[in-house]
Amino acid sequence: MNRRRSVRTMVALVASGLAALVVTGAGATSAGAADGDDSDSSVLRVGVMSGIENPNIWALNSVSEWSAVTLQYDMLLKFSNDDLTAAPSLAEGCEHNDDYTEWTCTLKDGLKWSDGEPLTAEDIRFTYQLIKDKRFPYFRSYIPSGSEFAAPDDTTFVWTTPEPSTKPDIPPWIYIVPEHVWGQYADLDSKGLKAVETVPTVSSGPYQMTKAVPGQNWTFTRNPNYWGEEPAFDTIVYQQFTNVEAMVQALKNGDIDMADELEASLLPSLESEDNITVQKVTPDCWNNLAFNFGGQTADADPHPALQDLTVRKAIAMAIDKQAIVDKVYPGAGVPGETIVRPLSTYWHLDIPDDEVIPYDPEAANQMLDEAGYERNADGVRVDPKSGRPLELRMPTSNDTMGADASGKLIAGYLDQIGIKVDAQPTSAGRVYEYQQTGNFDMYIWYWCGDPDPDYQLSVFTSDQCTSPDDYGLSDGCWKDEKFDAMYLAQRNEVDQEKRRQIVLEAQQYVYDQIPAIPYVYPNSLQAYRNDLVTNLTPVPGEDGYILPNYSYEPLVTVRPADNAESSGSSSSGLPAWAWVAGGAVILLGIVLYVRRGGRTSDDEA
Amino acid sequence: MSLRYLGKKVLWAFLTLFFVLSVNFFLFRVMPGDPVALLARSQRLTPEAIEQQRALFGLDQPLFQQYLTYLGQTARFEFGSDLISGQPVWGQITARIWPTVLLVGVGTTLAVVLGVLGGIKAGWKRGSRFDRNSTYGSLVLYATPEGWLGMLLLIVFAGSLGWFPSGGYASPNAEGFERVTDIANHLVLPALTLALAYIGQFLLVMRSSLLDVKDEEYVDVARAKGLADLQVRRKHAVPNAILPTYTLTVLSFGFVLGGAIVVEAIFSWPGLGLLTYEAIEQQNYPVLQAVFLIASFSVIVANLIADITYTYLDPRIEEV
Repeated sequence: MNRRRSVRTMVALVASGLAALVVTGAGATSAGAADGDDSDSSVLRVGVMSGIENPNIWALNSVSEWSAVTLQYDMLLKFSNDDLTAAPSLAEGCEHNDDYTEWTCTLKDGLKWSDGEPLTAEDIRFTYQLIKDKRFPYFRSYIPSGSEFAAPDDTTFVWTTPEPSTKPDIPPWIYIVPEHVWGQYADLDSKGLKAVETVPTVSSGPYQMTKAVPGQNWTFTRNPNYWGEEPAFDTIVYQQFTNVEAMVQALKNGDIDMADELEASLLPSLESEDNITVQKVTPDCWNNLAFNFGGQTADADPHPALQDLTVRKAIAMAIDKQAIVDKVYPGAGVPGETIVRPLSTYWHLDIPDDEVIPYDPEAANQMLDEAGYERNADGVRVDPKSGRPLELRMPTSNDTMGADASGKLIAGYLDQIGIKVDAQPTSAGRVYEYQQTGNFDMYIWYWCGDPDPDYQLSVFTSDQCTSPDDYGLSDGCWKDEKFDAMYLAQRNEVDQEKRRQIVLEAQQYVYDQIPAIPYVYPNSLQAYRNDLVTNLTPVPGEDGYILPNYSYEPLVTVRPADNAESSGSSSSGLPAWAWVAGGAVILLGIVLYVRRGGRTSDDEA
Repeated sequence: MSLRYLGKKVLWAFLTLFFVLSVNFFLFRVMPGDPVALLARSQRLTPEAIEQQRALFGLDQPLFQQYLTYLGQTARFEFGSDLISGQPVWGQITARIWPTVLLVGVGTTLAVVLGVLGGIKAGWKRGSRFDRNSTYGSLVLYATPEGWLGMLLLIVFAGSLGWFPSGGYASPNAEGFERVTDIANHLVLPALTLALAYIGQFLLVMRSSLLDVKDEEYVDVARAKGLADLQVRRKHAVPNAILPTYTLTVLSFGFVLGGAIVVEAIFSWPGLGLLTYEAIEQQNYPVLQAVFLIASFSVIVANLIADITYTYLDPRIEEV
């Protein structure tokens, strides 16, 4: 075997292989390319962090996928730009009968889908019926049991419920899909519907998706039949990043115009750039230090002292929420208070300053002393009833931003009042197991609610304390009849202002009873290049989202900034000629190497 | 090479594959949490909807029944549907496989070529400035975490200098030759990270092997015959020293389909490594099983190739 000849052959093969890999790779993922070339059109490029995998509306699983759907589809009534209450969308409005069991919604005239087909009340009826039948996640929770739907004519949609309901006026967060597209798949189960190829989409909103490369980028083009104001950009591209630092570099370099899902740790780097504006969105979620009261299973073993409101209140007073915000969420969070987060401006209760549970570890110590929780030789307090030291297990869920660092700080604060905490970073799957079985004392996890407070309040009701077989959502099986009554009262109240008062009272009651401590409201962070784009309309209000979350409005009003160079699809990198020249040099080198080897071989012969 | 030897190696490869197949199945099911029930919190599933989803994905069946179903499906090359997106797993694998082959293939090739050439030069001129510098450099690179190296390259070459894209695989609208160069631009930093991270081991192994054979008698005989130094090195020393590096190279290429999780995550490179990372986060059993099976399969095949081809390079192996 002539090994030297084979080495030369191998070098040549390697060179050919590398070239082939790049060319093959170029072809391999270009399948499904857009029909048109957008090189001459205006393109808005958005960096996103969460997965963009399946563009199918029934397979929603990430913030970015939700955003993409919001950009394309309309609701029957939409969330208002100011406070997320109901506002006209496809329907001008909905009227109810005297007992709130029948709602009649009147659609705008002349609505069309992006493919030119008329959008009628029958599409609304089909969508609602499909969601009801297939039990789709998210959407199904907006449809009360026993609801019936009808479309007596093209612009009239009728929704009847067996019990009085204000659900149609919340509004229900349900995106309307075209019957002429999805009707042919209606016999499939939900798993089959998720697998249907939907690109290019048929949409009613300002954009339709025309190209989807899973895990890389999704391309949207303007819907020519959109019923509202025509957006300025011809094309929007969502580009996925899996490293937030890389996304920030892309924003700084102008490879993208906007960025979603940024992290607080990068705020100083972003805020030092004059041409980048950071939007700190009014908190949409809250991080929760939940107490366990037991009862989930026979083996549930919470610390009995947690039943005592004095202990829970002492814990609340010992935690310096502002310090946690400053250290873990610097510039991107505020201390949490109630269980309905601030973005639901209409429903959220602001606790007056003089009624806020203060950070006062001395007073907390005094409360525990007076209640008979003496310290043992190790300095740990002991429950006078059970005789157990106050040593608490506290898993912190890894899917909750800042939970681990917060957990360590909280353990330190509680150490000051004689409570020993074992803070353990834990996978969300394991925390879910703890929540189901009740084998924990406290945990840190997060909640993100709806604009409407019903769902968030519901998870604190006794009904949600179930055995694992029934998948209850209660964090720690807190059972309180007074709160249950408040929940039902708000649910059955059809007068919105009266309902609001009940919701505010329920928040105050939870704040006082402390089944959980919402210790921080973290801000969502979004950013844009102010020298490239302008005129974004945040929703809701001036501190709302500047990318589609509740509404596509921000990307309808956005315009290229004055004097901005035309946005395009190109990104950083060497020009084509440089690659050609580099390739030629490498090939030349290989040829010389092989020829030199050949001569050496001949010499030896 | 005898058929008996070949048969024995192939049989072991199949047994290993079956073992991996079984471990794949049970390993992910001992992870805490229920992938469907976990969605109850984030996707507002009712208990009925959770049960419906479990039934759709066969998760309501007894574990052993699921195992048998899984073996049968795998034998038919059916990998099921993604628990989260509902899409066929095989479609996801095929969409991700080329980016991974491209990235890890190019990175490994560069590391092998540069590492072997450098190792030969360093070993042959032991104690020279090149030997000292390349050895120290290799040790530094070998000890450097890929993630740190990748971030460094990203901040310098994509951030400060802006020479290359900071992430992704290709721009959405590039077509034709522009697409080729666009992918090449996106490839530079992740492939360079991998090449730098791997180059040290090839250089050190090649250098060490060459040092072992350099003082052998047959090398002295070749010199005594009057052959030039270059000929002695190429004809007598390197061919006998290449065996350990050859094994390392073949096995390294076996890991190509496993992806490069850290580098893919840093540079948002949509390959199998990233798919694995996302599937672990979501407890996406079908995807995890498929990517682990493919990665294991490629390593086992690479091992088999190494075993078989080794007997051609060094016939003494078969006798052992």
